[in-house]
Amino acid sequence: MTSGLAHYLDVATRFQAERADAPVWLKRLREEALRQFERQGLPTPRDEEWKYTSVAPVEARPFSLPRELVGSADVAAEVARLSSAGPRLVFVDGRLDSSLSVLGGLPRGMTLKPLRDALRDDEAVLAEVLGQRARAEAHPFVALNAALLEDGVFLRLGRGVRGEAPVQVLFLSRAGGEAVLSSPRVVVVAEEGSEATLVETYAGAGASFTNTVTEVTLGDNASLNHVKLQVEGDAALHLGVLHSRLGRDSRFASHAFNLGAALARNEVHAAFAGEGGDCTLNGLFVGQGTQHLDHRTDLDHAVPRCTSRELYKGVLDGRAHGAFHGRVRVRENAQRTDARQTSRNLLLSETAQVDARPQLEIFADDVKCAHGAAVGRLDENALFYLRSRGIDRAQAEQLLTHAFASELVRAVPEGNVRARVEAMLALKLPGAPRLEVTA
Amino acid sequence: MALLSVRNLHARVGDKDILKGIDLEVGPGEVHAIMGPNGSGKSTLAGVLAGREAYTVTQGEVSFDGQDLLSLPAEKRALAGVFLGFQYPVEIPGVGNLHFLRTALNAQRRSRGLEELDAMDFLQLAREKAKLVQLDTAFMNRSVNEGFSGGEKKRNEIFQMAVLQPRLALLDETDSGLDIDALRIVAGGVNALRSKERGMVVITHYQRLLDYIVPDRVHVMAAGRIVRSGGRELALELEEKGYGWLGLEQAKAPKEARS
Repeated sequence: MTSGLAHYLDVATRFQAERADAPVWLKRLREEALRQFERQGLPTPRDEEWKYTSVAPVEARPFSLPRELVGSADVAAEVARLSSAGPRLVFVDGRLDSSLSVLGGLPRGMTLKPLRDALRDDEAVLAEVLGQRARAEAHPFVALNAALLEDGVFLRLGRGVRGEAPVQVLFLSRAGGEAVLSSPRVVVVAEEGSEATLVETYAGAGASFTNTVTEVTLGDNASLNHVKLQVEGDAALHLGVLHSRLGRDSRFASHAFNLGAALARNEVHAAFAGEGGDCTLNGLFVGQGTQHLDHRTDLDHAVPRCTSRELYKGVLDGRAHGAFHGRVRVRENAQRTDARQTSRNLLLSETAQVDARPQLEIFADDVKCAHGAAVGRLDENALFYLRSRGIDRAQAEQLLTHAFASELVRAVPEGNVRARVEAMLALKLPGAPRLEVTA
Repeated sequence: MALLSVRNLHARVGDKDILKGIDLEVGPGEVHAIMGPNGSGKSTLAGVLAGREAYTVTQGEVSFDGQDLLSLPAEKRALAGVFLGFQYPVEIPGVGNLHFLRTALNAQRRSRGLEELDAMDFLQLAREKAKLVQLDTAFMNRSVNEGFSGGEKKRNEIFQMAVLQPRLALLDETDSGLDIDALRIVAGGVNALRSKERGMVVITHYQRLLDYIVPDRVHVMAAGRIVRSGGRELALELEEKGYGWLGLEQAKAPKEARS
């Protein structure tokens, strides 16, 4: 049995050989991605992009591709816990589970389907976006995902379509099975003036490796609220890359919650392609034990008059390690850019660590840009205030920690999705207010 | 027996001695005022009694209801019935005022073997107590002190005291930053909480507060010691003659600075 790069090359080569009858365009896309993966290889900490995060665990086990799904009644309760009414696609151990998915009741003009079907039926639309936002030549794990392209989600919002209920995509991994590598791809095309909320949830108990890529294309004046909730099991590896391209006057908000997995890295890349765009990038990681959690953001102000707001927070306890690297580029012609980036990190133990690296590259002169990064501990004054009322130190620390983290939960629009994020955070950080009756 | 008994208390911050031998006895039902110029150690005394960890006690003892107060961490002192009204109440974004206070009250009730209050019962109690200091119930749902005006913060302190019903209240410059209307409201709240069982130590720079909260005893602190004690007439004398009359450096009368 091979390991490391050779193993993945072998897995992908066999995967592609078994799909020799795929449409030519798709075959080419997969093959080219495999070449790009081989060319780049697995990153090492010597790579500037991977300075803070070692992917050694990815090499340590021979992850295998998902098998066809047999029975999933055992996860029905989990699906109920992690989703609410509305359209949803559920994947179990990397494979679509139609019995747990809900595709009815979509608004007119909205298409939501398994990517596998879209690869068969929607070549015309996909050709313009698939692999165009997240480029295989720029990222080894995007390349690996594309080399294994098959399962995932295709969401298309026609002109002016408004999705009332959030679209939910769930990826569950079960304990006890093989160590599965799943490579989901989520493709979103929001045409002019459309509006929706998309929630991607990754959960489970398996020792899985999820390598997921999301590509978002927003037309003029379109709006997408994207929530990613990563609550994978303690042994899981999770790599996620999201790319979003914002058309004129469009709005994109990303709320990334990384709470689970042994190793997780979440990248969010947003590029303004038309003036007047508005982008919010929010993120939270909460690490405990020996978790390693990495947030990478990249904002490209390529055109004038766009606004971006970025708030990333981290809470680290035990021997957990966190990293935030956020780059904001303001290109030469991107005058009247208004960009603000904030990274705040809370260390709860002597052995927890965080690397915070804001990176602003400004080539235009008429811009408003600000950034700040802070690493600190709980405020002793606030702790004393709580303790002076009879709340013991441990509980006071929980209250303050939860308050620090929950700012990002409160940034999610009110509703079922926010409530679910809140509940997941409460599992990780006790000290959440129990349901409070208001005055 | 005295509720609070402070003997020869010395304390420092870093290597700076601030309290240099304080003796003070407060009995149940008594209200003691501590006055003195800035820097005399008044707030330090309150902080040391409440268990602020920035201070180191180097000598002396404090007993509260027969217990060695100095051996207890801040939260245990609160459970024993000590309450500190902060000069500068801390803003805590993200922690709801009501949730905070219910957590505190239930911690105190648990330590006394009482049943915890559920959200409904607590809300009823909070509404009732909020009336004492005319605190709008809308404030109760906001984050602790976040964005509160100076007066709202001080009213929130007294509101908390009303809910927690301490046996000893240490009110540290509760009058600072208040206009006359807010001062009346806050003092009214404090007066309503006077009782035969409860002792109070009211720390103030200005005698003005003592027109509204009439003390049983007045102590004057200077340079880390209590240099003079007397009845309420001492406060009036101070107002007339200033601290200079006591042979202290600051000669200016401690008249109110704002109206």
